[in-house]
Amino acid sequence: MTVVPAAAEPGLPDYVARQPSGFYRSINPGTKLAVAALEVVAAFVVPGWVGPLLVLAVVLATAAAARRLRGLGTIALATTPIVGSILLINLFLLPGASDPIARLGPLAPTWSGLWFGLQTVARLMAFSLAIGLVYLTTAVDDLLSDLARRGLGRRAIFVVGAAVQMVPATIERAGEIVEAQRSRGMDTEGRIWRRARGVLPLAGPVVFGALTEVEERTMALEARAFSAPGRQTLLRVPADRAAHRAIRWAAVFALVAIVVLRATGRLG
Amino acid sequence: MTAGSAAGSTASVPSIEFEAVSFAYPDGTRALSDVALRIGSGESIAIVGQNGSGKSTLVRHLNGLLRPTSGRVLLDGRDVRPMHVARLAGLVGLAFQNPDRQLFAGRVSTEVAFGPRNLGVRGQELEERVRAALEEVGLAAEAATNPYDLGYSRRKLLALASVVAMRTPILVLDEPTTGQDARGVARVRAVVAAATEEGRTVIAISHDMAFVAECFRRVVVMRVGRVILDGRPEAVFGEAAWPELRATYLEPPLAAVAGARLGLGATPTASSFVAALSGRAWARRGSHT
Ligand SMILES: Nc1ncnc2c1ncn2[C@@H]1O[C@H](COP(=O)(O)OP(=O)(O)OP(=O)(O)O)[C@@H](O)[C@H]1O
Ligand SMILES: [Mg+2]
Repeated sequence: MTVVPAAAEPGLPDYVARQPSGFYRSINPGTKLAVAALEVVAAFVVPGWVGPLLVLAVVLATAAAARRLRGLGTIALATTPIVGSILLINLFLLPGASDPIARLGPLAPTWSGLWFGLQTVARLMAFSLAIGLVYLTTAVDDLLSDLARRGLGRRAIFVVGAAVQMVPATIERAGEIVEAQRSRGMDTEGRIWRRARGVLPLAGPVVFGALTEVEERTMALEARAFSAPGRQTLLRVPADRAAHRAIRWAAVFALVAIVVLRATGRLG
Repeated sequence: MTAGSAAGSTASVPSIEFEAVSFAYPDGTRALSDVALRIGSGESIAIVGQNGSGKSTLVRHLNGLLRPTSGRVLLDGRDVRPMHVARLAGLVGLAFQNPDRQLFAGRVSTEVAFGPRNLGVRGQELEERVRAALEEVGLAAEAATNPYDLGYSRRKLLALASVVAMRTPILVLDEPTTGQDARGVARVRAVVAAATEEGRTVIAISHDMAFVAECFRRVVVMRVGRVILDGRPEAVFGEAAWPELRATYLEPPLAAVAGARLGLGATPTASSFVAALSGRAWARRGSHT
């Protein structure tokens, strides 16, 4: 791992070199990323409800301490199309489920479908909120320069950067998609069944838009010599204190431990 | 005035009135300031103005997507505030600027059917509407295609068709000609002309001054959330209004500029310019002999 010396170059404006402050905001971006990775893995790998609920609790507590609960709320809202479709699909179509809640004509929602759907949603929320919290408390540039300083390849940095930067664009786009479909008479204020039908008209353009955006971003970066050989210049190098390093390594260790325990069948 | 009966027939086209409408976005951006505007039943009207002047914000008030911070929006004298967007959609069809923020279906025909179906249209009538709308924008042969296999300009025409098929008494188009080649612009013009012919109210936002001068009988110019000019194309694009137009970064149509230079009077459209020019040529010839 090569570490490029801090480059507080003379003549750069003050805000370029100024360090962020505030709880969690001031923690090293790499550390926050490691913690988020641990949370994501725990949410998906620890079986049953323990994993996702524990992670959700930790993420929400951290967000509350960092005063970022509102932001997380917006992110949670943006996942509703996906959450809705996961719930519906599991509720009605979970293979092998045979404990119907009720009969609605040809449809038979099942308890196990509902249960499994809710659990999947909990994992998904844990995932998006853990990543979302990093986004809300980290300037993207800081995250990327921290990763670059650690010698992470540009392509990997791009993947992280694109994923993180997509969040606000996706929220904005989702808002306009909802407006466009409502203008075509889609009922978002009426009864639940009418609203459930709106999942596809909303999720389709959101997903497609996200894909095109990544593609365009890639091409725009290439056009600005993203792959050119030679080291990139870093303008500001984020702080990395001993405590940050300790948390980071602990998170990485815990992550590996969970994966190993799961692989050897000792996590149930 | 009920959404169900109004959709499909143009028997009752409601008048529109903005009464001292102001609007601020939640982040505090003041997008409309005290807008007063009356649009009669069956008018064809273009809204122009520099980027960020509040055009899109204004038209989003027509179907209740946005509600005024103060002031009222009236359709046929009735405040739209208590009406749901899903209900207003039967009266006001709004085509958004970016097609990719609405297309979702796997087939062009399904996409076009979405709006009218939401309005309760079914069966033969639905099929007929889809067919006619696709015909109108020149996509009849693509009914079974996946929308995302069409190029951008045709996706945009598809988004237009999907609103046209709702046959709302009021049709609102947000920048319908951007990204269209001459043939696409001609299709959009035909849609506007047909709707105007049928007595619907057509409102279009545009940066394309030639399109505005050719297709609309009234032009409203907006600047930082206010209406600053409002009148017939001859007046709004007439020489007297140029300073005002240029102050908001709008160029009058070429025909209007050429007409004024040659002393032909107000000639906002190419055809009026040609007519005025040949009229003068005839007059000259007459005076020579
Ligand atoms: N969702 C939003 N939140 C906050 N401000 C907004 C939002 N949408 C638009 N604005 C702001 O409101 C003002 C008017 O925007 P609007 O989109 O109505 O302009 P426009 O005339 O349609 O511009 P354009 O020609 O670029 O489409 C602008 O200053 C814009 O930045
Ligand atoms: Mg606009």
